[in-house]
Amino acid sequence: MPARTPQPDDLGDWTETVLPTNLSAIRKTEREVLARLHDLGYDEDHLFAVRLALEEALVNAMKHGNAFDPDRSVHVWYRASPERVEIRVADEGCGFDPATVPDPTSDENLERPCGRGIMLMRCYMDEVTFSPKGNEVSMIKHGQP
Amino acid sequence: MEIETRTEDDCRVVTLRGSADINASAGLRETLLGAVERGETRIVCDLSETDFICSDALGVLITAYLKARGRGGCLYIARPHQRLNDIFETTRLDRLFRIYPDVAAALASLRE
Repeated sequence: MPARTPQPDDLGDWTETVLPTNLSAIRKTEREVLARLHDLGYDEDHLFAVRLALEEALVNAMKHGNAFDPDRSVHVWYRASPERVEIRVADEGCGFDPATVPDPTSDENLERPCGRGIMLMRCYMDEVTFSPKGNEVSMIKHGQP
Repeated sequence: MEIETRTEDDCRVVTLRGSADINASAGLRETLLGAVERGETRIVCDLSETDFICSDALGVLITAYLKARGRGGCLYIARPHQRLNDIFETTRLDRLFRIYPDVAAALASLRE
């Protein structure tokens, strides 16, 4: 089922990209988003944060959401102003409950090699929200004051 | 990302140049786990020229660390710049890995 298209408001129109479920497709989308933010004057710390969160969201969408199914796509929408950037990533999977992801920073999980993606998204973006079904994540990063 | 490896003081120094992103993880896994499989269980991972690291690459470091430790060895981290150091702190992986200001300090610790 195709993801719903976000509606425009004060930030202007969304830019939409559809990625195949292929990890090698991630870097191109990252570059596009970061180039837009660079042109809007975002500094290196902000660019690093957005890059990290976006990479984690895209990898999660392909790996966990779409289970690396090549017949499924990942939908990305973004829009930005000097004040903030909004990014949405949606996969075509069954969804999940992010509340069930264990805390990777707890002592008993520290040696686990996986499970840090959502935590990093939450730490490096100012707002991270999952849809009720769990197969779409919205992230906001505020620009420098 | 380019990965350079060398032997120094009977330890394997692995230098990552560029971005340790999702597409670099496979090569990183091959390098680090391959070293451990060959018995090179004392490893210093030099992150001084690494400008980015994702959670998948962190997972590779953890796996290599655990395998090296399981064979009586260790994996140390050297000279991550501030943004990567922040990631280690945010994830509390600075409690798992020994992180040194430079490769020389890491090697000195391995010699002890």
